[in-house]
Amino acid sequence: MVAVPKPRRGAITGKRWVFLVSLGLMAGLLFVPAGHSDYLNLTFRNILMYAAMSYGWNLIGGYTGYISFGNVAFFGIGAYCSAVLSKAGVDNLFADVGLALIVNALFAVAVGLPILRLRGHYFGIATLGVALGLTDLASNLDFLGGSGGASIKQIGEAHFTTYYYAMWAVTLACMIATFFIARSKLGYAFVAIRENEEAAQVLGISPTRYKVTAWAIGAMMGGAAGAVFGAANGFIDPPTAFAVDNNVFPIAMAILGGMGTASGPFIGALLLSGANELLQQHFLKLHALFFGGIIVLMILFLPRGLMYLVGLRGGMRRWLSDLAVFRV
Amino acid sequence: MQLVLQNLVNGILSGGILALVALGFSLVYGIMNIINLAHGAFLMLGAYITWQLWSTFGLDPILAVPIAFVVLFAFGYGIQRGVINRVVRAPVLATFLLTFALSLLIETTALFVWTGDTRGVQTAYTGANFTLLGVTVPWAKLLTLVVALAITGILYLWLHRSRLGRAIRATSMDVGAAQMVGVRVAHVYGITYALGAGLAAAAGALLTLSYPLTPTMGDPFLIKGFVVCVLGGLGSVEGALVGGLVYGIVSSFATQFDVTIAGQHLSGTGLQDVLALVVLLVVLIVRPTGLVGRATA
Amino acid sequence: MLRIENVGMRFGGLWALKDVSFEVERGTILGLIGPNGSGKTTMMNVISGVYKPSEGEVQYAGRRIADVPTHDVCHLGIARTFQVVKPFANLTVRENVGVGAMYGRLGAKRSARDAFARTDELLEFVGLARVAGRPASDLTIPDRKRLEVAKALALDPEILLLDEVMAGLNASEVDEALHLLRTVNERGVTLIVVEHLMKAIMSISQRIVVLAEGKKIAEGLPQDVTSSPAVIEAYLGARYVKRQAAERERKAAAPPAEPPA
Ligand SMILES: Nc1ncnc2c1ncn2[C@@H]1O[C@H](COP(=O)(O)OP(=O)(O)OP(=O)(O)O)[C@@H](O)[C@H]1O
Ligand SMILES: [Mg+2]
Repeated sequence: MVAVPKPRRGAITGKRWVFLVSLGLMAGLLFVPAGHSDYLNLTFRNILMYAAMSYGWNLIGGYTGYISFGNVAFFGIGAYCSAVLSKAGVDNLFADVGLALIVNALFAVAVGLPILRLRGHYFGIATLGVALGLTDLASNLDFLGGSGGASIKQIGEAHFTTYYYAMWAVTLACMIATFFIARSKLGYAFVAIRENEEAAQVLGISPTRYKVTAWAIGAMMGGAAGAVFGAANGFIDPPTAFAVDNNVFPIAMAILGGMGTASGPFIGALLLSGANELLQQHFLKLHALFFGGIIVLMILFLPRGLMYLVGLRGGMRRWLSDLAVFRV
Repeated sequence: MQLVLQNLVNGILSGGILALVALGFSLVYGIMNIINLAHGAFLMLGAYITWQLWSTFGLDPILAVPIAFVVLFAFGYGIQRGVINRVVRAPVLATFLLTFALSLLIETTALFVWTGDTRGVQTAYTGANFTLLGVTVPWAKLLTLVVALAITGILYLWLHRSRLGRAIRATSMDVGAAQMVGVRVAHVYGITYALGAGLAAAAGALLTLSYPLTPTMGDPFLIKGFVVCVLGGLGSVEGALVGGLVYGIVSSFATQFDVTIAGQHLSGTGLQDVLALVVLLVVLIVRPTGLVGRATA
Repeated sequence: MLRIENVGMRFGGLWALKDVSFEVERGTILGLIGPNGSGKTTMMNVISGVYKPSEGEVQYAGRRIADVPTHDVCHLGIARTFQVVKPFANLTVRENVGVGAMYGRLGAKRSARDAFARTDELLEFVGLARVAGRPASDLTIPDRKRLEVAKALALDPEILLLDEVMAGLNASEVDEALHLLRTVNERGVTLIVVEHLMKAIMSISQRIVVLAEGKKIAEGLPQDVTSSPAVIEAYLGARYVKRQAAERERKAAAPPAEPPA
């Protein structure tokens, strides 16, 4: 007899209960500032920041299936938006985020129209090129402070708390937006393109239009996180804004938590970024070694992410045989 | 005219080494579809091995090239067989992250072993030039170019003439078919990655003649190697060579660019890499198979 | 309603179609047949705007298909299935069809909820309701074919191009499929049916166009077409050669049945 798999529900947002747990955890994270510790605020703000960036990547990489290696560009642009506004005498988080959203959306559309015509690795390479080009460009533009960087005026007395809440709000917005986008017609267009672009096209979906949409919404997510980060950090320079880590970690997080799901980036960020922060605290110098090791292990043993393990039927044997598919 | 000639020569001199940097990267990509983010780290290891041999035994960097090559060849083979081969058939993201993590591990280790201090190698010919037809040529760079071209030539011949080289090329064309005719794919992949690492190390060894050493010195070269590969067409020796020379010459001439727009000073020296990346994007969009690639994609 | 005028399609040095013209009347069923590699699928691709023809043009409702972006062809009322099925493997059957209902001809007017309501009707109609919640990757071959048809129907087409949707079905499944297609046609949808099964195509088509090596070699009523010498030659010729080849292969592979005395 053939085993009948259970009908799946909510395939497009991920498992419902995982999303509810994520929302619950988000609610819990509201109480971090109650600890009255700048260190805690900073640590969890970083985790939330990575989650938001991962959400930005997830829309184009996870949902639409276009693997971007350059999403840090949007984060960097967002951070520089805060710097530019601060220089112009505007020190307001809403303005920072607002400008980042607009600039990133415009930039993403302008860049996306040509490069989203590329498929597979070529798209990935092009996005990496965009991110690297921006790094060098920022180093050479005096009004952005060049390679010396630019400082951003900090606001408020309890600014750690303020910025923490701001990042929390950005991340929550990303999470909820992803959930609703995924369930909407828009989400189905993204996923259809990921699954089979030609078939999607014949069903009336304009690949260019929806790819650019996914890319631009993701850009806005990364940009919002960048704007808050810039303001919170008080200083921004090209290596910070366009850090390689910030390009790669969000991808690792989305993979671990579940690509193309509404809670994957959050779960992934909580685990990976959490581990990174812990390691950094305990092994200041060695933490990169541990962190690299964690990513290596994750790719070797959980290349399909955590949810694969949760849904695994057939135990160790099945796990190993699923892994064996990838080796030569 | 003099200026044009000088820029052309500078471009060719730096293009040769870029071609060598790109070569290993391109090989790994072309044969296994791996975007090897550890390539820069291998280059850095090659440079530090060379520096270590020079500072301990006074060995000339040129003589250290084969040693660096062999050490990293073995290292690369081990990594491919032990780690990367396990996920080489997974979506490209897996190897992308894996090689990134490997570079993180290697660079952090290097930071422990050699510290973050900037190092350099001094030889009798360091800083020495000669002038021909009014064009200044640094000996170190000329030597680098000659060795880089020699290595590229040897690799080309080896890939086309030797049994293993042919097996590698066959595998890149059709893994299934290669397997069928008895090619041991795991071994071929190991050798390919080993070659990539060895070539990176050779480039790193040569670079000690003209660049300072730090544990992150490989990062910009990884990026340049990347651009060069795409320019020339990913996965071919000829492509890497042409791409390297084009990149070298374009960025050499780019240094002449110097304008001020609305109080914003833009100098070509600072923007060479931006220019290179713009060229990369244009090439990708207009001709994704690269300048010498076959237009089949 | 659909006019194909002197269409030619070249791949490198090969003309997959050359100077093919025919028309399809509203509400009819046209059979498109021909030996393997004769250009049937290519014709489907040209009509549905997936390929731009190298020569000639396809006109539908007064528009040149080549001028319409591929993703808008279905909004004109033309839907097609793929011979090599292209399911969205990680989506459920219901979601697969739902995407069509959301983005097809009437999709703009539908919310996601309305689209799924329409989807449920369609799944019932094509007999996929029992597997609605399964991922498309789990389906059997006949169900995958049904899914292709359901996705195309979800576009609310005026004209539906079916590329070998009956291949791989058993006799009773073929009968079911024929019944389904007739029902679709009775609801006012024009059909172009590509099929190798002669019996099926003869019974359902009102007119038949025959392609061979990219050229139209016959057109007319089913019984007239089958008696045309050109068609017999194209078919028997091809079959004959094939049978010969198979025969040779069998002889080469198998040892002689009886040892020589
Ligand atoms: N994209 C393409 N590139 C190159 N050649 C193609 C392409 N598509 C089709 N062809 C060639 O065009 C010819 C017609 O192919 P087509 O698929 O239209 O035949 P068909 O009548 O559908 O055959 P079948 O009955 O096997 O489905 C074949 O020789 C095929 O190899
Ligand atoms: Mg066909």
